[in-house]
Amino acid sequence: MATTSSRKRVPKKTVKKAAKKAAGQDKVERRRLWLMYPSRLIKEPVVWKLGVKFELIPNVRQASVTDELGIVCLELSGRREKLKAAVAWLEKQGIRVDPVEINVMES
Amino acid sequence: MSKGNGMMRALKCRECGRQYPLEALHVCDFDFGPLEVVYDYERIQGVMTRDLIVSRPQTMWRYRELLPVVDDPTVGFEVGFTPLIKADRLAERLGVRELWVKNDTVNYPSLSFKDRVVSVALSRSRELGFDTVACASTGNLANSVAANAAAAGLKAYVFIPADLEQGKVLNSLVYQPQVIGIQGHYDQVNRLCAEIAGKYGWAFVNVNMRPYYAEGSKSMGFEIVEQLGWRVPQHTVIPMASGSLLTKIHKSYRELSDLGLVEASGWRIHGAQAGGCSPISQAQKAGLDFFKPVKPETIAKSLAIGTPADGFYALRVMKDTGGAADDVTDDEIREGIKLLAECEGIFAETAGGVTVGVAKKLIASGKISAEDSAVLCVTGHGLKTLDAVQGCVGKAREIKPSLREFESALTGDGQLTR
Repeated sequence: MATTSSRKRVPKKTVKKAAKKAAGQDKVERRRLWLMYPSRLIKEPVVWKLGVKFELIPNVRQASVTDELGIVCLELSGRREKLKAAVAWLEKQGIRVDPVEINVMES
Repeated sequence: MSKGNGMMRALKCRECGRQYPLEALHVCDFDFGPLEVVYDYERIQGVMTRDLIVSRPQTMWRYRELLPVVDDPTVGFEVGFTPLIKADRLAERLGVRELWVKNDTVNYPSLSFKDRVVSVALSRSRELGFDTVACASTGNLANSVAANAAAAGLKAYVFIPADLEQGKVLNSLVYQPQVIGIQGHYDQVNRLCAEIAGKYGWAFVNVNMRPYYAEGSKSMGFEIVEQLGWRVPQHTVIPMASGSLLTKIHKSYRELSDLGLVEASGWRIHGAQAGGCSPISQAQKAGLDFFKPVKPETIAKSLAIGTPADGFYALRVMKDTGGAADDVTDDEIREGIKLLAECEGIFAETAGGVTVGVAKKLIASGKISAEDSAVLCVTGHGLKTLDAVQGCVGKAREIKPSLREFESALTGDGQLTR
């Protein structure tokens, strides 16, 4: 009986976390993205903020910055949830985020 | 060159030129630039002649040395060799000496030019050992993958936005692929599909198979040249979504010219977009070599790509060939559809209306001289976009079953002739 009740007391969060870990969902993932930002954000250290704010490792592969548009192609490495949060944050700043393939969805 | 690669040499990065093996790869590891198939042109030159091409069945595969397959195709044997129509009545209406319409509204099996790219992608997928194919699409591509995969016995996954119109979904569902509707806005759907493509070991036709897939578009250009009597047209007007079709038709002309199969002559490549989604056209008109992404708002859904992957390369082709771009409003698109139907009996989807509308503008502005000859590429059938012309093509007249009523209805308009 004691064993049964102690089993019941295991918090759901812990079980979920363990299950996630077993499934390998919190391992480091990589995303290859194009970021396009408007001129008002060109002076902002966006890539640096990604690293600091979301514990991600950015690796810039291509970049083109004019006074009208900033385009950066980068690889981001980090945990899945952090990557998702980073993309949402970028979009909130007004930055367009596309996968490196750009038009996966076609007519 | 390895004998096992057919006439292909390698995949090559369009940015840095690094070469990769002929596998299911699509971007350069170094700079993430797109990869493209390069061929052994010296070997092709020794084999490919006009006589050999003409001796083969009238399908896109008669140019197989310049398509990225090693062996005989295994998917879409009947695709291509659609009619090239001499459009005299349309030429007169648009005010140009000679006009041709490359009519891919009747491409087999799914009534759009996507059958070309899909049959190449699936044939190559089989060569590389895949048994499952996939795509993310809102229309023509989904229909073509579903139909061609069914005929070839391949397992297919089709990803669509969850809010896609039922009519469009049915056109894929009927072939019984796995159809997955994804909730969320376009950018989220696009990114998830990229992630799925990266995670699963499938042949995603426009992701990891993209270098092969895109090459299928060249067959449209090869056919135009052959059907014109081995002549490259002075002007070609091409609808632009990602811009890929435009760059590949240019590549097809260049390849035939370099191989000595046609006389080297100047040709101009022009691009057509809908005003509600015209990033490439706007950039071309402003003289820029880059485009600004836009949010699409147009009835021409098949061209509604706000961030065109090949936009930069399309701009370069137009610049290099002395071509131009323009765009048309939704009303002008409908007018273009009606004009093509009235003059030539061809019912095109909205992208066809864009091409005709832009050709009209380019002729009127002198960018296509009235003394020249032009080819318009019409890429999909009007049955796919019936909603676009609903309410603007008139109504059927209703009468009682009486000859007198029939005659009075028509004579009232002065249209009855005996």
